[in-house]
Amino acid sequence: MSDIHLNCDGRGRRDFLRLGLGSAAAGIGLSQLMGLRAQAAERAGKARAEDVNCILVWLDGGPTHHESFDPKPEAPKEVRGDFGTIPTKIPGVHFSDCVPHLASVADKFTVIRSICHKDPNHGGGNHYMMTGTPTPVPVNCGAFVSFHPSFGSVVSHARGVRDGLPAYMSLPKQSRSGGPNFLGAEHAPFIVGGDPNKKGFRVRDVVLPKEVSEGRAKSRRELRASLDQLVRIHEKEAQDPTIAFDSYYQQGIDLITSPTAQEAFDIESEPDQVRDRFGRHQLGQRMLMARRLVEAGVSFVTCYYGGWDHHRMIFDGLKKHMPPLDQSLAALITDLDERGMLDSTLVIALGEFGRTPKINDRGGRDHWPHAMSVLLAGAGVPRGQIVGATDHDGAYASENIYSPEDFAASLYTKLGVDPKLVLHKRDGRPVRLVNGGQPIPELFG
Amino acid sequence: MMPASHSLVNLELRSNQYLPAIFVLLIGGAAAQPQANGAEDRPLSFVSDVLPILAKAGCSTSGCHANPEGQNGFKLSIFSYDPKADYASIVKEGRGRRISPAVPERSLFLLKPTLQLPHEGGERITVGSEEHETLREWIKEGMVFRHPNEPILDRISVGEALRKVKRGERGELGVRAYYADGTARDVTTLADFTAGDDSFVTVDDEGRFQVGSKSGEGAIVVRYMGKVGITMLSVPPDGLLPAERYAALPINNFIDEHAVKRWAELGFLPSDLCSDSVFVRRAALDLIGTMPTPERVRSFLSDHSPDKRRHFVAELLAEPNWADRWALVWVDLLRPNPDRVGVKSVYVLDQWIRESFRQNKRYDQFARDILTVTGSTHRNGPAVVFRDRRAPADLTTSMSQIFMGVRLECARCHQHPNESWSQEDFFQFAAYFGEVGRKGTGVSPPISGSPEFVYHKPGGQVTHPVSGAVMPLKPPGGVEVQLESGRDPRQALADWMVSPENPFFARAIVNRIWGVMMGRGFVNPVDDMRTSNPPSDPALLDALAADFVAHGYDLKQLMGRIANSRVYQLSSLPNETNVEDTQYFSRTYRRRLSAEMMSDVVSDVTGVPDHFQGMPAGARALQTWNFKLGSDLLDAFGRPDSSEDCPCERNLEGSVVQALHLMHSDHLQAKLANKNGRVAKLASSELSEAEIVEELFLTALGRFPDKEETSLAVKQFKEPEASRQTATEDLLWALINSAEFVFNH
Repeated sequence: MSDIHLNCDGRGRRDFLRLGLGSAAAGIGLSQLMGLRAQAAERAGKARAEDVNCILVWLDGGPTHHESFDPKPEAPKEVRGDFGTIPTKIPGVHFSDCVPHLASVADKFTVIRSICHKDPNHGGGNHYMMTGTPTPVPVNCGAFVSFHPSFGSVVSHARGVRDGLPAYMSLPKQSRSGGPNFLGAEHAPFIVGGDPNKKGFRVRDVVLPKEVSEGRAKSRRELRASLDQLVRIHEKEAQDPTIAFDSYYQQGIDLITSPTAQEAFDIESEPDQVRDRFGRHQLGQRMLMARRLVEAGVSFVTCYYGGWDHHRMIFDGLKKHMPPLDQSLAALITDLDERGMLDSTLVIALGEFGRTPKINDRGGRDHWPHAMSVLLAGAGVPRGQIVGATDHDGAYASENIYSPEDFAASLYTKLGVDPKLVLHKRDGRPVRLVNGGQPIPELFG
Repeated sequence: MMPASHSLVNLELRSNQYLPAIFVLLIGGAAAQPQANGAEDRPLSFVSDVLPILAKAGCSTSGCHANPEGQNGFKLSIFSYDPKADYASIVKEGRGRRISPAVPERSLFLLKPTLQLPHEGGERITVGSEEHETLREWIKEGMVFRHPNEPILDRISVGEALRKVKRGERGELGVRAYYADGTARDVTTLADFTAGDDSFVTVDDEGRFQVGSKSGEGAIVVRYMGKVGITMLSVPPDGLLPAERYAALPINNFIDEHAVKRWAELGFLPSDLCSDSVFVRRAALDLIGTMPTPERVRSFLSDHSPDKRRHFVAELLAEPNWADRWALVWVDLLRPNPDRVGVKSVYVLDQWIRESFRQNKRYDQFARDILTVTGSTHRNGPAVVFRDRRAPADLTTSMSQIFMGVRLECARCHQHPNESWSQEDFFQFAAYFGEVGRKGTGVSPPISGSPEFVYHKPGGQVTHPVSGAVMPLKPPGGVEVQLESGRDPRQALADWMVSPENPFFARAIVNRIWGVMMGRGFVNPVDDMRTSNPPSDPALLDALAADFVAHGYDLKQLMGRIANSRVYQLSSLPNETNVEDTQYFSRTYRRRLSAEMMSDVVSDVTGVPDHFQGMPAGARALQTWNFKLGSDLLDAFGRPDSSEDCPCERNLEGSVVQALHLMHSDHLQAKLANKNGRVAKLASSELSEAEIVEELFLTALGRFPDKEETSLAVKQFKEPEASRQTATEDLLWALINSAEFVFNH
């Protein structure tokens, strides 16, 4: 058994079985798993798991768990840091006072405090938490690597294009390991760049260029239809690629001429009070845009919000960096809930790892994969729940410990993708979608 | 109908790449005892009786217990490459719970796969079946691993090499295993069957096949305990055409002679010769990655000399753009992740590849330069390949795939499932990279700013990962090599690589270039040559390879041969005989422009160049040195992702994203509306509307519009609210979004 697959305390899965901790620490049994799959659909309200969409808020850099969901007020000053704690909507549960908005809606989501792995590098951690698979070789912090398809690419692969819309979008850029790998370029995220907080923001390519009126666009399309006269070879066995080309164009045209879809892309049609609630900043409006995209039928939207690598002056840094996240993530969950969309939308916020328990001499916290907090809401994830715990310093996950593979298996199960799926690389080699993880039972109520 | 056996026999004589169809795989590994009649005298053995059952039941596949973590703690080696470990896993691990010698029926080993206890993999073995009985007996008899004199499994056979079958025919395959002691047994029920092309023939677990409705040839590959057998099924076409239909076909060069022979066997007649305007565009896009200018189109179309296509090909091959267009093929294969090896290294390698193509370096020299490189990664491009690929095994995987068109990767961990390669073959090849030394700070992502020096460091060795044995130098399919002391083994590898003893090298490059120019290779994917994936026209592939070698490994010469053949110049429109043909080149297969070509052509036809980050103004996409330079268009149309561990795949599939981008991107609209662009120039010129239309057709499609097209296009100028500028924009928009623009056809 390779080192990479060891649990956080250095014990392998097999050791857990020997210790008799099998079901608690190393996953759940088969019959439970089968049950969970059935439940996934049920729990997602009316939505079948295949219709559940996902908004993944990717906090690149490794967000601190101490100053968010797992404060340790009893720990010494050099561990607990500058911030205090506040009560949440869950009786007896405190968050850092850095996240007041989230604390006030904690009755709507679950936080897992005990996910951990062993890769302290950004490159490797990104890969592990964005794909559910560790890198096969160690990679350094600066690495942007892809050895395995990302969650979004897999969902795109499983579902394909719906209503002319790419199934996987990423705002405002692709996360490091957010690519499709062997699934192919058509499952790369569709990048929606730009700042939706700016006046006149438009989602690229799915709406007309500003200079082109609808009437002109129609006239262009008619001209195109009359001039595109290359003979199509309709016999299926001829494998003429222009046949597929025509269907892609038709889907694109359907999208551009659908009033519903076009309205979804127009963030400016959102009432001011809603835009204010998400926050008039890039992240807030991106979260809102993500919600609108999901409404329009996009299966998986990644909201990238980096800058969490607080090796220095973490408290000053967080005072600026945390409020937009606190506000917009709380708003997103609340908004989805009010619209009745939370049961069919899985919201996840996480980064590649947590941060060191002890504050370093530059006033920062360093990389720490031995414990991290992950927020999940919607799609049947129980409301108002804390799963697992870390030790007294917030250093090591200590209860209900889960791996990135367990996390990945949970995510896929919620989205109706079988985590046991075997995919095939281009050379024909079979690859497990998730290697050995089990859905986290607490997420399935 | 030429029987496929003809081609197989030819191949057998020509090289050892294409071994006879029922061939022998003499690679070490499992020994086996024939369970012949009267075997009850001899106890069953794990290696010869138990492992085949586990393999057949799917237990030792990576989807089940042979995945790196095992399954619920029970782990087997993939394709049973490590019988000892498997034996230990079953008999010794799990604190003996898996086997209950006293009461065999109570063994988990029997209870789980028969679903008498919950088993996630479901029922794999039926209670009371022969397999079940064998496993039970084996436990009862004391779980023998292997008998002292167990005969070695030598080969398997699947009957005839070539079976002529009819459309829709059903049949059965029988598999026999032959042992070194001369015994044999039927292993049909234990063998694994795979059809090469499911649309041609399907095959089930028991070896029963069902031929589909197509004519042609298709392989069924059979595996049993690391041995591979293949049988070709051949469905003749409904009616072969009389020989005189072929005798009169025009022949430009030897390519056509071979192709005609193949078509005659398969009942295809070639499509017509493509028009001059299709040819001028096709050849320019293929050979220099760009559209011919309107002036060139005009002069070509008005030229009436019979040799004009040949002259045009020669002109294209002499163009400076040729180097960048073809360097990209190698860039796709070799370019590392800049976040890993550093941007300077990526740049230096990129420039070295381009320079090699600018010189039209002999291809054997190009390969030798890479394989034997020494020196600094900041001065010597190929050194970067060794900076990126560090372990001998990684170099083995990439170099064999790139230069031999062979995918050895599978054999790194286990017997190749569809080919004769064993782990031993893999690591003997890897041994050539055992003395690569590196000096310097190594890779330190993301900057990797310092150079590294690659040199010959004597004394290194490569060992077999299971046996631990030190591996001798031996090229795949070749013989062991003794090295003069002091010589870099990579020199010996390069000697072998480009020598006539290597059956792969020339075929691999010829197949690759053919694949780029013709839309598909004789073998596909182009770097997956193996017995179980035979070429569609082996004789032509061989002839091209021989011609390439005879002409000094000259890539331009090879491309000229291809472009001047009648085969290359056929229309993409099928006739009544060849609609089904998707691999014998009796018509041209349409292919989408690659991302960089699309980007450059859009820049050219709009008259507005792109600005790529880190590139001088006016640089073309084909000249970009880094796949991570931002471009929505290049992303939409698919570049290799250099963040991937194997970035070599270039996707030419279409997608909605591409259609959306070409239709609605601000990027294209800005180019159309650019004040200095082609549209603005045409709109503000003295040209008539019809002349503008003609100019745009020539620029974007490489041809004149016909009367109807001109009148349809001119109408756009009469639209309410249309100006000359907007109508010209709309017209160019419509042309760029047409299939005729997006595809090379």
